[in-house]
Amino acid sequence: MLNKVLDLLDPLLILSAALMGVALYLIFIWVPTETNQGAVQRILYFHVPVAWGSMLGIFVVSGSSFMYLWKKTEKWDRLAVASAEVGVIFGGMMLLSGMIWARPVWAVWWTGEAKLTTALILFFIYVAYLMFRAYFPPGAQRQRLAAIIGVIGAVDTPIIYFAANLWSQAHPPLITGPAADAESALGSDLGIVLTASTVAFTFLFIYLVQTRYKIRKSEDDLVELKRAVSTSAMTGAN
Amino acid sequence: MISNVTNTVTTTRTIRFVLAAFIALSAFAFATQISSAEHEPPVSGIVVGVETDDNGNLTRFAVSDSTGTVTTFTIFDGTEYGLENQAGDRWVSTQGEEPSESARRLRDHRERFAPITVVFENGTAFSVVEREQGKLETNLGYLFAVFAVTWALFFAYVLYMGRKQRVLQHEIARLKGKIG
Repeated sequence: MLNKVLDLLDPLLILSAALMGVALYLIFIWVPTETNQGAVQRILYFHVPVAWGSMLGIFVVSGSSFMYLWKKTEKWDRLAVASAEVGVIFGGMMLLSGMIWARPVWAVWWTGEAKLTTALILFFIYVAYLMFRAYFPPGAQRQRLAAIIGVIGAVDTPIIYFAANLWSQAHPPLITGPAADAESALGSDLGIVLTASTVAFTFLFIYLVQTRYKIRKSEDDLVELKRAVSTSAMTGAN
Repeated sequence: MISNVTNTVTTTRTIRFVLAAFIALSAFAFATQISSAEHEPPVSGIVVGVETDDNGNLTRFAVSDSTGTVTTFTIFDGTEYGLENQAGDRWVSTQGEEPSESARRLRDHRERFAPITVVFENGTAFSVVEREQGKLETNLGYLFAVFAVTWALFFAYVLYMGRKQRVLQHEIARLKGKIG
């Protein structure tokens, strides 16, 4: 079922490219420059979608890991690994874009406030998950333990989302989602651009996960082939 | 399985092309943004005059730019402010919300010779912000940095996936040939 869905996702490449083109047009040409921050405010249209992508990634890792623990099917493990790898890319971009935005606006690259710290923890969760898989010996035990890490890792996501409201520090307040403050919510023009950009990056995220999933499947197929070759060699020797 | 691998390689090549197109589009968008930004340049300089009414509410202020030209601006209720004090704390408000605070802040800037940037039209100020933060060219540098670094990361990741897939494809083909 999952394989069939993934095979059908190829048009996502075209769709995500078209949506990204629209988003870039809106970001750089259509939306007016914000008066207080100037052009640097446009980083928001990149920072928020990649932050969303990194959180979406950990949800997919967590969900797939849970499904793997339940069903013990390889495809869920592959999906978790693919999502973790793409998620760490998005997480790294979230941190980088946030730091570059903070330099002209806060006059510092980094500060130890709650939202930044919890976002950094999410990045480290991804790194820990991937490092564990890279260094632990292959087998069912590695997949099971990695799945447990994946499920636990998602706990950080709601903390990141609510951090700006819970601790009220330097990070701008929530502008989207159920907990967003009505006064600080984006105006109509800014909201349209942010939504378009988020949709475009979501499709890009799905496409990258799909591609990584296929590579992962090829890796598994290669292992199977190597096993078949050595078996046939042993049969030939006998 | 082989056809699946070939399909992945093809799509990886395609995504490389698409990402290259994104970067080209970003560069085009930057060029357009810069040219449109030059259409109506804001005035930057130090505050040389602050005028208030009997209630202490700001009515007009004057800015001297780097050439010594003094420009006087009137304000209205919608004039936006984004000004910092000496400690770096940012005050963001509008004239209508805090009419006397704007005068106090601008006097503070005049005393400290802290430069500001004014976005205006027909002599009426629409926004008054810190020079450093409102400096368009500086901000564009940061904006460019974000897009350059992050798209480079995306591109590098796609290259990595493509290379990995090529190695896998080669190895799978070799083993398939061995089995016959």
